[in-house]
Amino acid sequence: MIKEENTKLHNSVFQMLPWIIPTISIILWAVISETGLIPTYLLPHPVEIGKAGYTYIFGTPGKAPFAGRFLSDAGASLIRVFSGFAVAVILGIPLGILSGRLASVRKLMSNTINGLRSVPGISWLPLAMIWFGIGIKTTIFLVALAAFFPIYLNAATGARQISPLLLQAGAMMGVRRLKGTFAILLPGAMPHIMTGLRLGLGISWAYLVLGELTGVPNGLGAVIMDARMLGRIDIIVVGIIIIAAMGRMCDQLLKTSMQFCFKSARRMT
Amino acid sequence: MKPKLAPVSEVKPEARETILRIKNLRKVFRTNGSFLTVLDNIHFNAKSGEMICIFGRSGCGKSTLLKILAGFLPLSSGTVLLNGKPVTTPGPERCVVFQEDALFPWLTVKENIAFGLKGCIKDKKAISEEAEHFLSLVGLSEFRDYLPREISGGMIQRVALARVLTLKPQVLLMDEPFASLDAQTREEMQNLLLSLWIKFSHTILFVTHDVNEAITLADRILLMDKNPGRIRDEIRVDLPRPRKKEKTEFLLFSSKLYERLHK
Repeated sequence: MIKEENTKLHNSVFQMLPWIIPTISIILWAVISETGLIPTYLLPHPVEIGKAGYTYIFGTPGKAPFAGRFLSDAGASLIRVFSGFAVAVILGIPLGILSGRLASVRKLMSNTINGLRSVPGISWLPLAMIWFGIGIKTTIFLVALAAFFPIYLNAATGARQISPLLLQAGAMMGVRRLKGTFAILLPGAMPHIMTGLRLGLGISWAYLVLGELTGVPNGLGAVIMDARMLGRIDIIVVGIIIIAAMGRMCDQLLKTSMQFCFKSARRMT
Repeated sequence: MKPKLAPVSEVKPEARETILRIKNLRKVFRTNGSFLTVLDNIHFNAKSGEMICIFGRSGCGKSTLLKILAGFLPLSSGTVLLNGKPVTTPGPERCVVFQEDALFPWLTVKENIAFGLKGCIKDKKAISEEAEHFLSLVGLSEFRDYLPREISGGMIQRVALARVLTLKPQVLLMDEPFASLDAQTREEMQNLLLSLWIKFSHTILFVTHDVNEAITLADRILLMDKNPGRIRDEIRVDLPRPRKKEKTEFLLFSSKLYERLHK
């Protein structure tokens, strides 16, 4: 009912809004490249990027450097992002809700969480490599560590700001403790939980590149690192665009699947 | 849309048994080492099917009293007995209708009403039928699929009433439930409450700071004082029902009540 105005308000124009900034950026970029204001070794022409991207995605493997690596890279990165993100969710949401509701847990965690969360991910890299070696475990560790904090903090805020009236209403209707967590705390905190999950997933992608710095053979971050070594700036830009696109798609997928699974996500976010 | 009112018949609470006993109740709040006595020496009984209005200015502890009876707050000393058993935790036999919107914002009108039923009924179809029944009792059948944010304040209180009625409570605790509604809607809600009360004969404790509301509803009015909150006076309202506030005897009664208030 509330959205009625928007759907009436030039539906087609409204649907195009998200594409306006990317389109204008590419056009500007093309214009600048054509006029030669910026040399191509700093920023390649978009057509060159398009060609490099095409080879990267559709090329026959082995024919040219980076040709046809996309599927295996994207697959490897997706697995790492989702594993790390899943660990962060499994730890972050229950702990966050607990510390949102129980002052003792909040106090217990306060120094640890608020201290650790300001440590930059890159400073964990040497330690993680000693602990987990080079490979998937290190990446998952870094991604999980980074994604945990926004998920935890938002779940805690969400659980904390639930109106006591709702909990009292639940208690008088016989809903308490564990059942209450699912019936009231989780949906009541849903808008904040969603924010935490979306931030966490975004950060997961950001830390993926860091995690793949360790010299894993494939992955979208690894491609960027390889390209850096080889001075292939076009492949770096391709990698950036692909990570941005996949991050956006994962965000949309997260939102849609949460809204599909939870009434509260559907109706409150 | 307006619910049909059952004819308001005479209810004689004198003949009924006492179900709620409050003895020497005292509530002290502790803040930063200092003590504040909010309720002192509260002492009264409620009979089955009786409508009692707890009347007092803001800050007299009437909401705190209701919260203790609901089991949301512990008492400092004294006893609250329902059917002889002490009240310590919240429970469906003592339901609260809050002043503020306390519906679950992620559930529709009907799902809110069905919420409490899930604990006692397992069959989904039975829950749905029961919820529909109470939806129609409060006249909201057409609004079953609306979310709380899409309906008016009066409708929200109807849903709040319906969702506790589904639990078949013995005592209804109402904490200024109509205080934030406009005069016309408030009157409508009072009539709805009276018709439901006659149908189900709950014991109702109704907190209010509105003289007319107290006279319209109550069998008995408990006047509360503040600092510390205590029951100063008890007034029996023996006006015949339905009570219309334009009638002479209503006006006489309210002027008498005002006199006692300012005594």
